[in-house]
Amino acid sequence: MNMKSMLLGLVAATSMMVSTQVLASGGDMHLKHAEINVADQEQLLRGLTVFTDVCMGCHSAKYVTYKGLMDYPELGISREMADELRGDKALTSGMTTDLSPEDAKESYGKVPPDLSLIVPGRRGGADYIYSLLTGYTHDPAGKVADGNYNEVFPGHLIAMPDPLSWLDHDEADTADLEKQANDVSAFLAFIGDPHQNERRAIGGYVMGFLLLLALVLFLLKREIWKDVH
Amino acid sequence: MLDTIMKTKVFGWVDRRLGLEAIIKSQLTEYPAPKNLNWMWVFGALAMTVLMLQVITGIFLAMYYKPSAMLTDGGFSVAFDSVERIMRDVNFGWLIRYMHAVGASFFFLVVYIHMGRGMYYGSYKEPRELIWIVGVVILLIMQGAAFFGYLLPWGQMSFWGATVITNLFGAIPVLGEYIGQILMGGFSVGDPTLNRFFSLHYLFPLLLVAIVGGHIHALHTVHSNNPDGIDLDQHDPKNVVTFHPYVTMKDAFAVSVFLLFYSYVVFFNPQMGGYFIEVDNYVPANNLQTPAHIAPVWYLTPWYTILRSFEVKLVGIAAMGASLAILFVYPFLDRSKVRSARYRPMYQGMVIMFFIDVIVLGYCGHSAPTETLKLVGQIATAYYFVFFLALPFLPMIEKTRPLPEGV
Repeated sequence: MNMKSMLLGLVAATSMMVSTQVLASGGDMHLKHAEINVADQEQLLRGLTVFTDVCMGCHSAKYVTYKGLMDYPELGISREMADELRGDKALTSGMTTDLSPEDAKESYGKVPPDLSLIVPGRRGGADYIYSLLTGYTHDPAGKVADGNYNEVFPGHLIAMPDPLSWLDHDEADTADLEKQANDVSAFLAFIGDPHQNERRAIGGYVMGFLLLLALVLFLLKREIWKDVH
Repeated sequence: MLDTIMKTKVFGWVDRRLGLEAIIKSQLTEYPAPKNLNWMWVFGALAMTVLMLQVITGIFLAMYYKPSAMLTDGGFSVAFDSVERIMRDVNFGWLIRYMHAVGASFFFLVVYIHMGRGMYYGSYKEPRELIWIVGVVILLIMQGAAFFGYLLPWGQMSFWGATVITNLFGAIPVLGEYIGQILMGGFSVGDPTLNRFFSLHYLFPLLLVAIVGGHIHALHTVHSNNPDGIDLDQHDPKNVVTFHPYVTMKDAFAVSVFLLFYSYVVFFNPQMGGYFIEVDNYVPANNLQTPAHIAPVWYLTPWYTILRSFEVKLVGIAAMGASLAILFVYPFLDRSKVRSARYRPMYQGMVIMFFIDVIVLGYCGHSAPTETLKLVGQIATAYYFVFFLALPFLPMIEKTRPLPEGV
């Protein structure tokens, strides 16, 4: 066995281990798949609306500024809309909730987490957020009060009361609520890493350039080495 | 091109004062490299490339990063905020930061393959023992630098990883508690820890660059090993090519292929499914809330498994220390006259098993502990030491294959 085939074997063994681990960690959560597209302006703007109308009642996204909402080409909202959203806050201020931490603790027992990094900061990412928002059910054991039992939340007992009123919703509203959950998941996925579309776009050119460079250097190497036997 | 430059007046002026021509000749244009070196010999150049990338990106990150654990709105800290500012507001800050974070993982990947190459082809053996030993020092400094760097974003995994590892020192008898406190700058991981780790994270790469210089100097004194592990007459053109342009062009091509892999991860998958940047590190450090599962980043997990394989904490620490210390005496444990595993059938099997063993150790260290994994980890730990301790006795029973005359 030479070193090359050995390396290939090691790579294969490692990737098998990685994939079994991924299966094992995702397997016990049964997350639903979120239909999101972080480059889809309409979905992101719908998600922004859900975020400001529902989430921001309690949650902040302090790393996302109102100016940022104007500057990110994926959102590209107008100055008027930014002014409307920010109220009397500064344009460079983060999107912070008006609920004070003290009041939040009083009402819900804990301070709601900042949502700027909620998608990269949770296993399952956007799928987890979507599944959480559409995961409110009645506690099978009947112990946890309605609105505090969530089938995907670790431990199932969640302090956040059913934000989209998913529990016992009318059958006719299912599609609309799922759409809201998807849209806000997309928005949160976008603000978790707001340069991700730019990154992927530039990445394509970088890979293209490097492929060409590798080709040229390969030919150069072969040319220089052709007399060596 | 190089010849033209060397004929200019300016070059002559410098050369008379610096002896530049002699250096260029002895280290580049007339430095001999065995012509049968295979592609496994490019990883040293790749490691140098990543080291330079890390230093350059790190300098720019340090212009914006603020090492302070002072709390800000929403349970974040000044340090965490400054990292997010780099990711969101600094022009191409996201690129520099992802390059640096992903670069750490690639650095270890490349260096581990580089070490595996040395182990497989016997590059650590006489007369190259010091190259290997200096290399082990480089590995230890890299691990230190990576550990210090991982604290800087002040996320949950930063905080708890540092807490677990600094607490280890507490188990060392007599001095342990003192060493732990010196390291943390207090009685627990906090703001003073963050400041001194930032300082050390800047110091260690400087040491690294200096010691890499020593590593290469030692190499250029005794010259490269080769896949057959045989002694070559380095002046006979039948055996060797000059470093420049032959090896430099081969390395340049290897670097471009390396950059393809690296750029793919940086631009399309920088978190690498939580392996390169862990999910929990997007959550700000909270000393009141322990994450469900604390594990070091993948490149430190083999040693973490060795540590966890023992019930008594002190024994675990001693074993982890021994697993690194034994690398220093590796060249002297191996008594066989034959270098390359190509001509050592028993060593070949053992060293391949060893590579698999380290991957198994790494897997066990990264996963949440279960009874089965613990047992697997213990067996893997045992083999780790058996591999080294069996080496002195191997020549008694191993029948080596005949070595080729030349290349």
